Amino acid sequence: MNGTDIGRSTLIGMPPWAIVLFYVLTAAALAIFTWGIVRLVRKYRMGRRAAGRRPAASELLRTFFRAIGNVTVLRDDLYAGIAHLLVLSGFVVLFIGTLIVLVDRDILRFVLPSLVFWEGDFYLGFSTFMDVFGVILLAGLLMLAVRRAFSRLPQLDYRHSFREEVSRRSMAAGDWVFLGLIFFIVIGGFALEAVRLVAVRPEFEVWSPVGWWASDILRSAGMDAGEASSWYPVFWWTHSAASLAFVAYVPWSKAVHMLLAYVSLAWKDETQNASLPAPPENEAGGYTAPTDLTWLELVGLDACIRCGRCHVRCPSSLAGMPLSPRDVILELRNHANNTLLHLRGNGNGLHRMTGDVIPEQTLWSCISCSNCATHCPVGINHVPLMVQMRRALVSDGSVDEQLQQTLVNLQRCGNAMGQSDRMRAKWTKELPFKIRDARREDVEYLWFVGDNASYDPRVQGYTRITAKLFEAAGLDFGILYEAERNAGNDVRRVGEEGLFEMLAEKNIRAFAKSRFRTIVTTDPHSYNTLKNEYPAFGAEYPVIHYTELLAALIENGHLLPVRRVGGRVTYQDPCYLARYNGLENTPRTLLDYAGVELVEMKRRGRDAWCCGAGGGRLWMEDIPAKDERPAEQRIREAAALDGVDTIVTACPKDLVMFTDAIKNVGLEGKFFVRDIAHYVWEAIEQPIPEHLEKEA
Amino acid sequence: MNILVILKQVPDLVEELEINDDGTDLDRTWMRYIPSEYDEHALEQAILLKEEHGGTVTALCLRIGEVDDTLFTAAARGADRLVRIEGDFEGISSRDAAAVYADHIRRGNYDLVLTGVQAHDDLNGPVGARLAAQLEIPYVGVVSGMHLDPETGVIHLHKEYPGGLLTVIRTELPAVVGIQSAVKPPRYVPIAKIRQASKSAEIGEETAEPQSLTPGYTVRRVFKPEGGGRAEIIDGAPEDIAARLVSIFSEHGLVR
Repeated sequence: MNGTDIGRSTLIGMPPWAIVLFYVLTAAALAIFTWGIVRLVRKYRMGRRAAGRRPAASELLRTFFRAIGNVTVLRDDLYAGIAHLLVLSGFVVLFIGTLIVLVDRDILRFVLPSLVFWEGDFYLGFSTFMDVFGVILLAGLLMLAVRRAFSRLPQLDYRHSFREEVSRRSMAAGDWVFLGLIFFIVIGGFALEAVRLVAVRPEFEVWSPVGWWASDILRSAGMDAGEASSWYPVFWWTHSAASLAFVAYVPWSKAVHMLLAYVSLAWKDETQNASLPAPPENEAGGYTAPTDLTWLELVGLDACIRCGRCHVRCPSSLAGMPLSPRDVILELRNHANNTLLHLRGNGNGLHRMTGDVIPEQTLWSCISCSNCATHCPVGINHVPLMVQMRRALVSDGSVDEQLQQTLVNLQRCGNAMGQSDRMRAKWTKELPFKIRDARREDVEYLWFVGDNASYDPRVQGYTRITAKLFEAAGLDFGILYEAERNAGNDVRRVGEEGLFEMLAEKNIRAFAKSRFRTIVTTDPHSYNTLKNEYPAFGAEYPVIHYTELLAALIENGHLLPVRRVGGRVTYQDPCYLARYNGLENTPRTLLDYAGVELVEMKRRGRDAWCCGAGGGRLWMEDIPAKDERPAEQRIREAAALDGVDTIVTACPKDLVMFTDAIKNVGLEGKFFVRDIAHYVWEAIEQPIPEHLEKEA
Repeated sequence: MNILVILKQVPDLVEELEINDDGTDLDRTWMRYIPSEYDEHALEQAILLKEEHGGTVTALCLRIGEVDDTLFTAAARGADRLVRIEGDFEGISSRDAAAVYADHIRRGNYDLVLTGVQAHDDLNGPVGARLAAQLEIPYVGVVSGMHLDPETGVIHLHKEYPGGLLTVIRTELPAVVGIQSAVKPPRYVPIAKIRQASKSAEIGEETAEPQSLTPGYTVRRVFKPEGGGRAEIIDGAPEDIAARLVSIFSEHGLVR
């Protein structure tokens, strides 16, 4: 057989009016598609400029491969990830295939007939390739449909977390339309191929295995060539109409995520959760309307495919508080569309974005743990959005009484407890040695102790252990005494930007008066803001966490673990260490040095479950929750581990939260929370090695 | 309508209070002052009235300690005019202070004067009353709500009495009102607004020579309560505790 005989023509046998109609429909579909995209772009242009830098070409390329490779989808849900990978690869291949046919048949054939290539061996390979990927696509769709129809996965539960009256039925229907439309196109394509292969049956078409096999079935069911020929136009038109409808449908549905998710991921500022963006320059100093959002944030709202990964990882949501990151995003999207596209319920005061669309209780439920943003496959940064809206509430003075008292305390005394700043270093009085005053003496390490570790009697004991460890290691360190102020990490996340700046300025002035090389913090929250946010205010110092310092002291031989402490414990990753700053291994190493057996909880590291104190929640009145609070849920999870009676942590706020939670779940005296320093101390305590005594 | 709110600086109880060498007053050398809580309610009530009926709110402070922040905070809350009176006011009695306030008010054009019903550093509570007496206008104290009728210039004041009774008192303006609490608790003022106010708001400065009016009073002694009581903790089984209680009661002749 001659190579050039292999191939086929398209649109053959169709009357001229039909060909014209087809091209008219194609043009219409493309017009609707373009219109949809233009409409979206116009909406995004109503947003503010995003502060982040423009991604470099290499980053754009890298994100492209990450998107094609489904990295963010596979990461946390293997089943959905594989299904999505199958659908995506099938879709991309079939789409490219369609483009190839378009280029060959509709362009080259007329312009440069000598270059026509959709024939011969290429045609055969192409046919097989397309058939195989059609099947792959169907398999993926089937997996997704089964999951959606039969599993009771909580992430697919669309019930609204803070607006119970909202029906999500049309939203759920939209999901099925999306799945169904692709399914219909692929099945229709195979059916069309099968009917064609009944009508004309060139031997070489066995290279289209699925179509060939389906045509065999049709033939054995009694269809002959004549019948097939008469059915062919029906199938052809159905398939073509469905495909064109899909093109038109993309920018008007969740299908648009195939374009927007890429933009959202490529432009995503990964540092934005750890280092919050500045407030917008409006009167409220926060988000009060969709036009306050950056264009990238508006893109993110539309990119959301309501996969619910944030929804099932949000501790507040799972505690039954009136918050779900998913619902916040979907409500904001609705509101943005209503105001920016349809000019409905607009800024005439009927629907305030902050307060009505997103209720205050919803905003105050956020604990800024960032579990949502960390797992969002389309790159939405939820935490900055929440904080920007909180800023508008704070600007209005809409804070609860307890939080108000705390903020006033922080203004007046520089600590959340409302205790005198002169008492900040009172905890040192019970130490057998005096800690140096970094404002008066040069030290290598400036120890930024933090509010809880300084003032809270539940934590002070551990603070003294840490001090003794530093002293035992002969560390050259000092503290700021009454000049230290709350670092402001959670003040900033409450939305009180002015107070955060004030606290930061005071701390930075105290830093400037002191001579030191490195800051070491007890609190992971202080660690985060000192390390990631203070540089923008001019304070650029190396910042480490005390667990890092302890590990280094052991590794350099300044602390010698001489005894295996023993016991089985589990470890709580503080959000601001693990998720925000990737510090997962060091604390675990410390437990290893101390000879403690570590039994891991399932949710750890970047997946860790928050204690519920972050984002200033520790300072607010309780919000009614339908289920147990995050800290209590976490204690139950830890206590269920075999032979584990202690949860170890490296965060004073965890200590506070878990101490209460243990009482609340009735495990007092049976289950314990301890700071990691406790184990290091036990491991080195007796006797303190001679060479260290000499050094000291 | 022009409202004057009198703000007083009182010692911050977060700090340990020291008594001076004479034992007649607090040691004010290192004292940290905060605005009196009742005065903050008075200011909030004034702002609420202004929001409802319009007019101006003037915040007035005697210069005791650092007062500018307090005034700027008042501006951030919504006060239109800030006045600081300079003079030697440390430890001034409420009676003498009332004379200074009265002098300012006579020169001004105020329809309503609001102040906290008392302040925790004297607990005398007569500033409002003395002020009203000097100005010869009505005074109502311990007020926790109000309703103004701008047409008639009449104000209805809500007052709670023990035993669950609530009264509404009607008075004509001008008047002095001692505020127990505003209708709504004072709102939070974000630092950004205070900072903005400290840049844009101006503090009007006046001076006054405080007069010591006679007859007055003198503080003889300020001291920390001396512990004198004894407590006996009874431990043991409930039966033993009960038996011990009975014997104590009969010792004191409470039971026979």
